[in-house]
Amino acid sequence: MIGLTHYLLLSGILFSIGTVGITTSRSVLKILLSLEILLAASNLSFVAFSRFNGDYAGQLIVFFVILVAAAEVAIGLAIIVLMYRRLATIQADELKDLKW
Amino acid sequence: MVNPLFAWIAFFSPLIACIIITLFFIRSKTYSAWISIASILISFVCTLFLFGQILPAHPTAEFQHSITWIHIDSLTIDFGVLVTPLAVMMLLVVTGVGSAIFIYSKGYMAEDPSPPRFFACLSLFAFSMIGIVLANNFIQLFMFWELVGLSSYLLIGFWYEKPSAADAGVKAFVVNRVADFGFLCGIILLWSVSDFGNGRSFLFTDLAGIVHQLDPNLLNVIALLIFCGVIGKSAQVPLHVWLPDAMEGPTPVSALIHAATMVAAGIYLLARTFFIFESLTEVLTVIAHIGVITAFLAATLAVVENDIKRILAYSTISQLGFMVMSLGLGGPVQGMYHLTTHAFFKALLFLGAGSVIHALHQQDIWKMQGLLRQMPITGWTFLIGTLALCGIFPLSGFWSKDEILALASVHNPLIYWLATFTAGLTAFYMGRLFWIAFYGEAHASHHEHKPHESPPVMTIPLIVLAIFSVIGGFLGIPHFLHPQEVHHEMNISVALISSFLAILGLIVSYLIYRKRPTQEPLEASLGFLYPILKNKYYFDVAYRWYVERVQQTVAMIFFWIEKVFIIRLGIHGVTGTAKVSGNVLRYIQVGLVQFYALIFVLGVVYLFFILIKL
Amino acid sequence: MSPFFFYLFAAILILASLAVILARNPLYSVLSLVVVIFSLASLFMLLEAFFVGMVLLLVYAGAVLVFFLFVVMCLNLNAQAFTSVQQSRFRWLGGLIGLTFLLELFWVVKGLGETQVMAASSVRGTIEVIGKILFTDYLLPFELTSFLLLIAVFGIVALAKGSLKIVGDVEEVQQRRENP
Repeated sequence: MIGLTHYLLLSGILFSIGTVGITTSRSVLKILLSLEILLAASNLSFVAFSRFNGDYAGQLIVFFVILVAAAEVAIGLAIIVLMYRRLATIQADELKDLKW
Repeated sequence: MVNPLFAWIAFFSPLIACIIITLFFIRSKTYSAWISIASILISFVCTLFLFGQILPAHPTAEFQHSITWIHIDSLTIDFGVLVTPLAVMMLLVVTGVGSAIFIYSKGYMAEDPSPPRFFACLSLFAFSMIGIVLANNFIQLFMFWELVGLSSYLLIGFWYEKPSAADAGVKAFVVNRVADFGFLCGIILLWSVSDFGNGRSFLFTDLAGIVHQLDPNLLNVIALLIFCGVIGKSAQVPLHVWLPDAMEGPTPVSALIHAATMVAAGIYLLARTFFIFESLTEVLTVIAHIGVITAFLAATLAVVENDIKRILAYSTISQLGFMVMSLGLGGPVQGMYHLTTHAFFKALLFLGAGSVIHALHQQDIWKMQGLLRQMPITGWTFLIGTLALCGIFPLSGFWSKDEILALASVHNPLIYWLATFTAGLTAFYMGRLFWIAFYGEAHASHHEHKPHESPPVMTIPLIVLAIFSVIGGFLGIPHFLHPQEVHHEMNISVALISSFLAILGLIVSYLIYRKRPTQEPLEASLGFLYPILKNKYYFDVAYRWYVERVQQTVAMIFFWIEKVFIIRLGIHGVTGTAKVSGNVLRYIQVGLVQFYALIFVLGVVYLFFILIKL
Repeated sequence: MSPFFFYLFAAILILASLAVILARNPLYSVLSLVVVIFSLASLFMLLEAFFVGMVLLLVYAGAVLVFFLFVVMCLNLNAQAFTSVQQSRFRWLGGLIGLTFLLELFWVVKGLGETQVMAASSVRGTIEVIGKILFTDYLLPFELTSFLLLIAVFGIVALAKGSLKIVGDVEEVQQRRENP
């Protein structure tokens, strides 16, 4: 049967994919998308735990996470737009003003 | 019963004067002088009261009044006064002779640009000296010992614009420092072994009780270390080199500090702490020998000097040698007796010399002639002082010096003959001084200014001191100090021999110098000895060599160690490491956020790894 | 029946997320993310978290991803500017780290022991139940998140007014602007 571990494993795989995406993407847009995958992974594990432990708190947390993620994506995209205006590119490598 | 308040007032009165002068009257010539004189007179009056209270309570009159000043665990330091007949007599000398000198200096320093500073320093000195006399424990004594050294430095270098004066002040302080190091070691050593049930103590009264229980070898070491302090302060060989140079200071300073009181502090210390030295025959022998050697050496050096103050300075060293010798022979009473009479006539001699210098504005005896006629009061009092110093009957110096010589004749013949010969030399060089500077016809062309007698404010102290120089032998000082001693008959042979040699010295010097030879005859007659004497036995040369070669080398070694290890390795090492590591680490700042995120995730992975293992 | 759907949606989820990070065209990435959201919502339905699943669809697929699409269209990014993972410098390191992470997770899950079987209808995340809890126990966070959204709006407006001044290598940027 499908148990908690299946869901957790799935969540873990998703999390790894998201991490790889963040660290290896060239453009900031893709980084943001990978961030969404990460959030999805943690949402899944929250709901899974909520279901299997009989506590609604998990689902409510997911509710709030979705909300906050929405706000964060909005601001993140605004920043990307700003970056594009200034640097005419969205490659993460170009943000190197703080380089030694 | 004795009221301690008099002791405390006598103690602090000069300090209050010094503070008042420094704070309020630093510009006023007359007020500063009067405040100073008033304070020392107050001290003198209080001392007289103390004397009056001690006298009927003889013979074992002694009282102590102290406050616990510092108390930490097993360390207790008191601050108090210990009034004994010895202390009272010393205090009478300090405040009495001091009063005379204070009054004198008002006249002497009248034309100087900054008398207030002088009187403030002088009052500070008086306070410190009284502190030494009244101290009831070693630490307090040492404190005021150092303070007296400071006052001496301030006063020697009073005319600090003169480089020689400033140097002389530093020399005095440094030489004393060397001696005081030994002194402090002795004090602390004594304290550390002083625990016999009551805890350790610095108090003289406590230490006197337990000193016979200590290991004799240890006690020898302690005694020698304490004697180190005496060698420095009382200008014994080999640390006598500072006293002749200390003559750079104004003459009242030379009179008070370097003749009557401060240099006598060493003698006083020995007398006060004689309970330590009493039973140590080897140490006492060392002390006696150092004393007689000092006396002899200084006398030989006085013979070739031409500066009136330097002659007197060497004479002081010589007489201090006598006093130390007396203590080394086991006679603290005789030593203190001579200290008192010496204070009278040496102060007199110095003040007289000051009077001469004040009138003539120079110090070379060959440029003085026939002063007896031109400055009668100065001249005649100077003569009285000279005769007292030479030990001519019935002046005070005769009685005290003969007591010492009698003691020597009983204990140690070698020392006795050397001391007696020195007494003869004393007469010779003092006679030389007198015949050259005072005797004979006044020669007008020798002086730029016509020498006139000094004002009364200077001559009256001279007269007072002269009176005491005459009657000092009849005041019953030894009896006061040592009442149990039954008065013994005077040793006639000793008296006769010393008197004979003194008169011989005076006559010989008269014969050589009455015709005012153009060139110093001693130069020819002494031959190869003369340059040695002129160079002061090369003591200064030796010390200078030591400081320049040995001490500088050691200092350079430490400087090098500090430069390489501490500064280069330590300080620059630390900063260099910071710089280098900063230079290396800055490459971490790649400025790429993704890279940071990567490292971040790496950290999380690692953390996870550790957590799983657990 | 349940296991089959689980595996189906799980497979779609994984493939779609891989597509997000591997796609060259930005548009493909965003659309793959939409698929991810949908499959996730399906999984939530399987877990009987109905309300949360719908919210996910509405907010994420409906608003957030549309916003993404807007930006992609606006910036007119072409495939060149959006170079793929293969040409990234730390590709291999990132992959390695991801793999390590995965292995660690497997290890953890293995240690969990017996797989718990889902209890029947113990927790049903229906809108009534969630709503009730939301407005009683979790009222404060609920109100605060509305505040948070307000602040986010402020932030975006402030950012959007950012200056156009070029920072850094001016010629390079101008060149990039001329040759899009």
